[in-house]
Amino acid sequence: MFVVLRDLLRYNSEFLAGILMTGVVVAMALLSFVSPYPPLDQFVAPMDVPPSAAHWFGTTSRGQDLFWLLTYSIRNTLAFGLLVAILSRILSLSIGLLAGYRGGWVDRVLMSINDTFIVIPLFPILVLFYFVMRDNMSWVMLAVLTALLGWSYDARLIRSVALSLRHREFTQTAVFSGMRTHEILSREHLPFVLPIVFSTSLNNMNWSIGLEVTLAVLGFTDINRPSVGGMIYWANQHSAVVAGVWWWIAFPVGLVVMLFIGLYLLAISMNEYIDPRSRLERGGGRKE
Amino acid sequence: MSAAMRNPAAKPEAAQGPVVAVRDLRAWYRLRLFGVDREVKAVDGITFEVRKDEIYGLAGESSSGKSTLVKTIAGAMRPPLEIVGGEIQFSFMDGTMGLNRAPADLVERVRWRHLSYVMQGSMSVLNPVRRIGTSFFDFAFRHMGLDNAGFEAAVVAHLARVNLPASVLKAYPHELSGGMRQRVTIALATICRPQFIIADEPTTALDVVVQKDVLAMFRSIQREMASSVLFVTHDMGVHAHLTDRLGIMYAGRLVEEARTPDVFARPRHPYTRHLIHSLPRIGDDRPRIGLEGTPPSLANPPSGCRFHPRCVFATERCRVEVPPMEQVAPDHRVACFEKDRVEATP
Amino acid sequence: MRAYARYAFGRFLQFLLVVFIGINIAYIITHATPIDPVEHTVSVATAFGHTAPEAIESMRQSLRELYGLTGSPIEQYLNFWRRVLVADFGPSLSAFPSPVSTLIGRAIPWTVGLLGVATILTWIIGNLLGGLAGYYRRSRILKGFGIVAMALHPMPYYIAAIILLIVFGYLWPILPISGGAQMNVARDWSFEYVMSVARHSILPMLSLLLVGLGGWFVGMRSLVSNVVTEDYVVYAELAGVSKRRILTAYVMRNAIAPQVTGLAISLGHIFSGALITERVFGYPGIGSLLVDGVHAGDYSLVLGLTTVSIVGVSLAVLVIDLIYPLIDPRVTVN
Repeated sequence: MFVVLRDLLRYNSEFLAGILMTGVVVAMALLSFVSPYPPLDQFVAPMDVPPSAAHWFGTTSRGQDLFWLLTYSIRNTLAFGLLVAILSRILSLSIGLLAGYRGGWVDRVLMSINDTFIVIPLFPILVLFYFVMRDNMSWVMLAVLTALLGWSYDARLIRSVALSLRHREFTQTAVFSGMRTHEILSREHLPFVLPIVFSTSLNNMNWSIGLEVTLAVLGFTDINRPSVGGMIYWANQHSAVVAGVWWWIAFPVGLVVMLFIGLYLLAISMNEYIDPRSRLERGGGRKE
Repeated sequence: MSAAMRNPAAKPEAAQGPVVAVRDLRAWYRLRLFGVDREVKAVDGITFEVRKDEIYGLAGESSSGKSTLVKTIAGAMRPPLEIVGGEIQFSFMDGTMGLNRAPADLVERVRWRHLSYVMQGSMSVLNPVRRIGTSFFDFAFRHMGLDNAGFEAAVVAHLARVNLPASVLKAYPHELSGGMRQRVTIALATICRPQFIIADEPTTALDVVVQKDVLAMFRSIQREMASSVLFVTHDMGVHAHLTDRLGIMYAGRLVEEARTPDVFARPRHPYTRHLIHSLPRIGDDRPRIGLEGTPPSLANPPSGCRFHPRCVFATERCRVEVPPMEQVAPDHRVACFEKDRVEATP
Repeated sequence: MRAYARYAFGRFLQFLLVVFIGINIAYIITHATPIDPVEHTVSVATAFGHTAPEAIESMRQSLRELYGLTGSPIEQYLNFWRRVLVADFGPSLSAFPSPVSTLIGRAIPWTVGLLGVATILTWIIGNLLGGLAGYYRRSRILKGFGIVAMALHPMPYYIAAIILLIVFGYLWPILPISGGAQMNVARDWSFEYVMSVARHSILPMLSLLLVGLGGWFVGMRSLVSNVVTEDYVVYAELAGVSKRRILTAYVMRNAIAPQVTGLAISLGHIFSGALITERVFGYPGIGSLLVDGVHAGDYSLVLGLTTVSIVGVSLAVLVIDLIYPLIDPRVTVN
């Protein structure tokens, strides 16, 4: 494991860049624990101060220090992405493994449902959900719904791996030794799909965070909980761009873009490590 | 093409000029994976020629480098495979590097006109989204100098030669059976009447009955056109039935070469002996003796003669020195220090 | 032909399943939540000032009917489906008395136009460049493009749109940043009007294009670099088939099939993106209507837009599925 990590860091510049970018964002989130300002306090700093030594990222029109506010926001945003990733992993793993292992009509039924969830446009549904829930909507509820709607793409990937495991000898051995389906899946097949699960969860986080930022920017989440999207929402409410308070938008956007690119780079470099075909291509490609 | 050459009975006894001559060819895979350099010497100093109107067989185990050799001769190399040294000379074009350094327009004119291929895996060599007729058009039309109607008539006539109806031209590859597809590829490879055909394990994926059928057809077409064929397969049984001369490869090198009957009757290399003795024969109840050890890694081959770790005749000299290819009889070359001892041993 | 009919029938069943599940999700969200939308609306409406109790009661009753909350649960469910099937979502609350279907009908051409053109353009350009990048691996321009595409690809649509808005709206204001066409131009098929529509669509189109391009580019590049090692490509190269024909008829033609499936798979995502983009640029399509509907508390409008979105996207996916056998003749066999 350690050797893999070292090799990736040394020879894969995408992985290195991904680690650095994600690392900065995570460090930023951790800083929230030592913030001098409580997250919800307003008018504790002078208003509309451009970035300076006292306020690194400037202050908002609501008298908040942008840097420290951003630490809370990115922490909440990351937490949302992680929760969705974990919840949707549970779904996509159980459905993907089951469909791939059982095959036949179980596979057909599960994959039909799976394809349905792939196709359905999520944004209008999430908006409808907000419309019904209004102020009663919490970020955990949104995360649960997002996970319920966002497992399908990865379930298909996991299924294709499970399908290939199904005819391998050790599966037969397990079947003959009397293991039950859920035991075979959790003990024998799970370890094989874990690398893919890991790289797809990075992509899934990117997707869900993007969704949350978007909903928050439109004001369709709990706007009183600091989040990156929420910051942009408030900046828009105060016409920050028109008023020349550009930093109010620029820093949240910059940070979240960094997170997106960082996670994406991590996901593709890990994919490359998992899939030897693309690795060989790289080996040959280096010679050119 | 003279009448004499078309005559199937006119087998050339004396050596005619070769269609292709390969001299001391070296082709290596140079890989760099996560900072580790690796060189795989898949073809390492091979010299041989394929004469006019003969089927030259190339035998060896699956990692002996025969596919790489064929790829190199065919000019089908991609990085990380590259030619490190040696020459390839065709009778139908100038230059000593074969197709590999020739100008693109010359390569385009020569390919399929003078040099064609039948490849392994008939399922995968035909474009799955193109009808068979379109593939014939892509491959052969520009060489035939015919108009559309004339070309189609020629294709249909040629298909009849391999017992295929004209209707296959309208089909997609996935709509044909394995045997039919293989006959399509043979028809595709021979329609331009090329001087030189490379056949790389063309029948391996077929079942035995179909295989026999396809081989017989291949032989009769070759006879009729007096083409030269380089026929690669690991199956010694196929070689015995089909080829005129036979070269045996081991770990990237040619170890023995002779007329096919001589190879089977008087093998001089221990590895050749092993290949032949492992063939099942009717009325022979002796147990088959397997080879000790595993095939060598081409990334890190044994010193001296590459066969020595698995050879019962090996001496100290074999461990250090590379045995040169030596003429031991007319049309018989062997690379072994102990060739006389091998021949003397029953 | 019979194989195709069987395939088409299967895809049609899948389409029905998507619509069925999608509409049920909408039903569950609107009916199984612990919040009573009627009481919520009533409390909002009566929060300021005094309202007579009878007025509140009559309001409550009409809202119940509007939300389809009258009768037994089974009646409610069937009623919900009836409204979806005849596309009758009642009058809009915010634009009373215009029926919701009229509002949606007015918005649909804008969304379909913007989304359709942007999606097709993105798909063609992304696949073309990605295919070339996979085939000509040494090209520096294409390599550079790959890096840019990779950086843009993970961006959510909103972020891309807002960056474009800031750049072309405030820093270098050369393009209209809001609306579907200029206000004072007559809405007919005059040259002036069409040009105005085109100019207004540039920025929303561009943000859809920038975000979408990377995915197709990266996907096609890796597909092509796998296809070029396939036997049939190597064989055609050995046969001396011209490079141009190999690139088009052998490499691209085979690599494009998974990308067509990919388009079907990501259509829902692209559609969501287009809604968001519309909102940023005030484009008069479904997305703007949806957000306005939420802010105005217009239940019928939001529900109508959600169901129309589900049916519309799955219909588009069905169309792609039905033409797919033209791209890959093997698909109807299995």
